[in-house]
Amino acid sequence: MSIRIEHLKFTYFEDRKDILCDLSAEFDAGEITILTGSSGCGKSTLLYLAAGIYPHSAGIRRSGTVSVEGVRPDSLTPSKRCHLVGMMFQNPELQFCMDTVEHELLFCLENLCTPREKMMTQVEEALAFCEISHLKKRTLHSLSGGERQKVMLACMTLLSPKWLLLDEPFANIDDASARMIAGKLKELNRTKGIGILAVDHRLENWLGIADQVRVMENGVLRPEVMDVSTLDGALLKELGVIVPGEAYEPELPAAKPGEVVLKLRHLAVKHENNPIFTDVNADFRSGCIYAIVGESGCGKSSLFGALSGLYSYGGQALLENRELRKLRKKELGKVGFVTQNPQDQFVSDTVREEILVGLKGQPDAEAKTEEILRGIKLWRYRDISPYMLSQGQQRRLGVAALMAYPCKALVCDEPTYAQDRNNTAAIMDALCRQAREHGVALIFSTHDRQLAKDYADQILELKGGGLCVR
Amino acid sequence: MRTLNPAMKFVTLLCVTFVLAFRYNPVLNLAVFALCMAALLISRVKPKTLGLLMLPILLAAVGMFFTGYRFSADASMPVAAADFLVSNSQVWNGVAQASRVLAYAGVGFLFTLTTDRILMVKSFEKQFHLPQVWAYGLLAAWGVFPQAVQEYKRTRAAFRARGLSVFPVSPALMKPLLVKSVRWSEELAIAMESKGFSGEEKRTEYMEVRVHARDWLFLIFCVALVCVFSI
Repeated sequence: MSIRIEHLKFTYFEDRKDILCDLSAEFDAGEITILTGSSGCGKSTLLYLAAGIYPHSAGIRRSGTVSVEGVRPDSLTPSKRCHLVGMMFQNPELQFCMDTVEHELLFCLENLCTPREKMMTQVEEALAFCEISHLKKRTLHSLSGGERQKVMLACMTLLSPKWLLLDEPFANIDDASARMIAGKLKELNRTKGIGILAVDHRLENWLGIADQVRVMENGVLRPEVMDVSTLDGALLKELGVIVPGEAYEPELPAAKPGEVVLKLRHLAVKHENNPIFTDVNADFRSGCIYAIVGESGCGKSSLFGALSGLYSYGGQALLENRELRKLRKKELGKVGFVTQNPQDQFVSDTVREEILVGLKGQPDAEAKTEEILRGIKLWRYRDISPYMLSQGQQRRLGVAALMAYPCKALVCDEPTYAQDRNNTAAIMDALCRQAREHGVALIFSTHDRQLAKDYADQILELKGGGLCVR
Repeated sequence: MRTLNPAMKFVTLLCVTFVLAFRYNPVLNLAVFALCMAALLISRVKPKTLGLLMLPILLAAVGMFFTGYRFSADASMPVAAADFLVSNSQVWNGVAQASRVLAYAGVGFLFTLTTDRILMVKSFEKQFHLPQVWAYGLLAAWGVFPQAVQEYKRTRAAFRARGLSVFPVSPALMKPLLVKSVRWSEELAIAMESKGFSGEEKRTEYMEVRVHARDWLFLIFCVALVCVFSI
């Protein structure tokens, strides 16, 4: 009962270097294995190959074999493959094709050719197992990230594959949901014998759940087999893994709290008449860094959406005593925002123009653009589209583009979403330096409590419809 | 209306619109519109929803009335009434144009507001033999729609935050959406496959969408009714 990989070489493009370089490994179904390593080391690629998605959907396998329980997953049709391997993805928003939770679960059973009379009982059982019976009739787009991942787990419970592969399943969900899902995964492994192989940058949610941790580096699997109780913190840190309890050690100048630049009074947001939060009050000072934490679905993204003009709000949001929604066009750049996906921020056709937009009208705009792009090591890519950059490069460009503006407040919704430790630290260092050096109020949300603790001057928790200091 | 088979309902209402297209009769148009409104209210469509949806339609109808009123077949027109379906009476011509807008809107609302989209796609798959890939692809795209709207708002907010003003359907706004939609379609297809969907193999159905006697009766009743009014 194992996944066996032998001398695997894989690339996404014929003329590029291999992303997996002669990789050999074996994972046993009796153990929960976590595969970790820095961004771009090839761990997700390996998972997609084991799931039979690659090379069918993308890439070229130059040599080697992948077999799951002795069968090549890419040789099977989807309806046969789903009995062998199931997969949970990083982005909970793009995993469903039906409208409600109930319909999505029925869709899985229909694909398995389950007799109609047995379907509803199985759906009820799967929902009960994942403790989401109350969500049965809810529409999928109304669910939070954590709830969606629980629905995805219910789908996997119904499909009951021999192996369950998970690609950063906790990247965008709160700790409580992550712990609950991890516990259920352990139950599936121990009671139903489903093999679990997960890819994750963060190990804290797997403590007490995983049996072993393997590390990938530059397309190969390192020989160390670590037990979660005896993790080699120094090695993992060096390889870009977010290790539980290991501080980020930011080197930031001390905070010099300035004037209150952003003031929230009785701020309220509702979606389709359902109040998300009702009474948010807070003062944000220039030069200070604020982390906003809270459980999945508590309204963090709605709060950031309201501040960035995405949602209408009740109450007051005052930037230097002027209502945010009434700011004139020329003043709009005073509140910068960094989104989870850097692609959401791009407004230009080339990397150079992306920076130039913010410097428009300045006499030395071209020289400053060059300086900024050289600073973030993107000068050589200046004439290509921002969409052609790698994810890490896009993130750097997104942050740098905002730095060209005279921002008073920087609003960042999960700026380190799905980033490894090194990228996380680089992004946060850049943002925090901006806050300190230019007297900007930096407000960021995160599920990583260590990150909040290490970088923020103040941690605020969104709870019960309001914001309170932790 | 909600219990009718969606594919049969679609065919029935298509027949009605087909008849309407070849008749130039305001009485027929207004009768169809009135029947549609009555059927919508009986089907528990909220009057407020209906009222809001009717607002732009009424505006269009008023516009069409004046178009018909102004361009009736009088001496100033380079055509004669006999050549085209244009009346000599200005008011009659205006009412005929306006009532056409109302009748078509009524039929359209009757279908869209009383049909469950999942049932509709399943019904099209079953009765019209729509390929599974199309049917479930359509449902998946529908599921992504709220996210696409959100993404559009997000992109607009990004432009606003950078001090750039763009008109609502600017290519600059559409480009990021196009790039993302390609990625979404790839991710969705992979997610559907990982749940055992191939689009070619046999599946069972929890909700079997059948054609009942009432669906045939509805078809015969509607077609007969518009034919009677046409005469």
